[in-house]
Amino acid sequence: MAAVPLEVSDLRTTLFTRRGEMKAVDGLSLSVGAGETVALVGESGCGKSLSALSIMRLLPDPPARIVGGAVKLNGRDIVPLSEESMLDIRGKEIGMIFQDPMSALNPVATIEKQIAEVVMAHTGLGRFQARARAHELLEQVGIPDAARRLDAYPHQLSGGMCQRVVIAMAIACSPSVLIADEPTTALDVTVQAQVLTLLKRLQAEAGMAMIFITHDLGVVAETADRVVVMYAGRKVEEAAVDDLFEAPLHPYTAGLIGATPVPGAVRAERLADIPGMVPPLNALPPGCAFAPRCPRAMDRCRTERPALTEPRPGRRVACFAAEKGPT
Amino acid sequence: MERFAFLGRFARNRGALAGTVIILLVAFAALSAPVFFPTDPLRMVAQPELWPGEDPAFPLGTDSLGRDMLAMLVHGARATLLIGLFASAVATLIGVSVGAAAGYFGGWIDETAMRAVELFQTIPNLIFVLTIVVILGSTLHNIVIAIGIVSWTPIARMTRAEFLALRDREFVQACRSMGMGDFGIIVREILPNALPPVIVLSSLVVAGAILFESAVSFLGLGDPNIASWGRLVGDGRELIRSSWYICAIPGVAIMVTVLCLNLIGDGLNDALNPKLRDR
Repeated sequence: MAAVPLEVSDLRTTLFTRRGEMKAVDGLSLSVGAGETVALVGESGCGKSLSALSIMRLLPDPPARIVGGAVKLNGRDIVPLSEESMLDIRGKEIGMIFQDPMSALNPVATIEKQIAEVVMAHTGLGRFQARARAHELLEQVGIPDAARRLDAYPHQLSGGMCQRVVIAMAIACSPSVLIADEPTTALDVTVQAQVLTLLKRLQAEAGMAMIFITHDLGVVAETADRVVVMYAGRKVEEAAVDDLFEAPLHPYTAGLIGATPVPGAVRAERLADIPGMVPPLNALPPGCAFAPRCPRAMDRCRTERPALTEPRPGRRVACFAAEKGPT
Repeated sequence: MERFAFLGRFARNRGALAGTVIILLVAFAALSAPVFFPTDPLRMVAQPELWPGEDPAFPLGTDSLGRDMLAMLVHGARATLLIGLFASAVATLIGVSVGAAAGYFGGWIDETAMRAVELFQTIPNLIFVLTIVVILGSTLHNIVIAIGIVSWTPIARMTRAEFLALRDREFVQACRSMGMGDFGIIVREILPNALPPVIVLSSLVVAGAILFESAVSFLGLGDPNIASWGRLVGDGRELIRSSWYICAIPGVAIMVTVLCLNLIGDGLNDALNPKLRDR
């Protein structure tokens, strides 16, 4: 049996700052199978992006450092690997797509040069073959008139086109794992849909495992197979996408879903927001980090941190209230 | 397309255009010197202190030893431009290397590099150049190296500032996520973005280097085998009351060249600075 493309277990990343140590990612575990999409959901500052950077081993060190856990890429733990070995792995076995396509491309290099550089770094192809491969990739990501676009500069392309180029670069060496960090946030809605369709198609073609970071639950419903909800650096709920929307167990998940507009719903009521903000990582409450904002918080929540439990196979939640009954 | 747009923006600055034309003329004179004046310019050819216009064979006259001023001026352009360009190249090479390493890696490398920059900046430039030349000996390449050593600090600071701003940009992170190493990122990704202001500064360093060399030669510490403009001014200074043209002609040449280089620097700045592009 082939190894799972990506298996993260008990990953802990700490920021060592002057104001003390902050646990930015605290015991995150998740696994993504081939062809599967796992969405990482949460508000800003929940540790989604830092989790992704930890998996890529791209943390700014100092101040951030992985202090524990394992990230198994195709069965091999990459946490203890040297930076030199990581250079070979990044781009080849694991790719990443960034939030703002306009700034994720080098403004002074042509599209061809940027794609060819990745291709040449990992495959040993020559300049000429790399150009042919770049052309092929641009066609694969649905860029019209690809031959002409090869010599274009990023500022000559639209945001959607740029994101396609970024995707082409990420999949240039057919990585088995793709991390998409809010890939559609900076794009307008129609382009968003096109990019999502493209990602799904590419994923199906290559059987890539994909981690999809977003705070847009609409996007989650469209793309993900499973969802991991993060809060203050910890996983608070994990479920198959349908189960999650049907019956969220954690009050935070319920809050997120409640804060998302539903088309066709009666507009009489205002969207329910979650009061308050994500607590700063250096001032986490002793109990459940969500307790101060939680509508169902009990005394126990404020003193004791709920452990992750598995009420049903594939369904995990860390909440005392959820153990007693559904929301 | 991009190239032509750049030239258009450059040419829109009239001063820069004029400066370029004059510098090209000077460069042409320098290159063609052996063709028009094939003999050694330091040879005595006529009676001394012949004023400009006095003898049509020597349109700019002769100096105190009876040497042809025009021949010396044209040959001097070779030495002066060469020293300016190479000293600027040395300064740019040192400055960009130090600045790039400091800005990209940060931490103790940055600290060490910046303290070194400050150390160099506290030493008065001209005295530093003179000291190096006196210790190493007055040859052409020692003078070039000496000027390079005192002129690299502003380039290093500029490069460092650009690298600091660029290293955290998303495209650098994207390159890392695709497995590009530090050296590749510095040279192929960040440097091309950081270069425009550095090019402007380098063109100004050429002007500065010419002034340094002139000062060194004026004080008689230049390479004795080369008649640079500064040395011509220096040679004529004893006769400044009677035959002031001996100082004035090379002096004007230095002034015009340096002025034109500064104009070109301004033009490059206008053309390369994206913030001013669409004025």
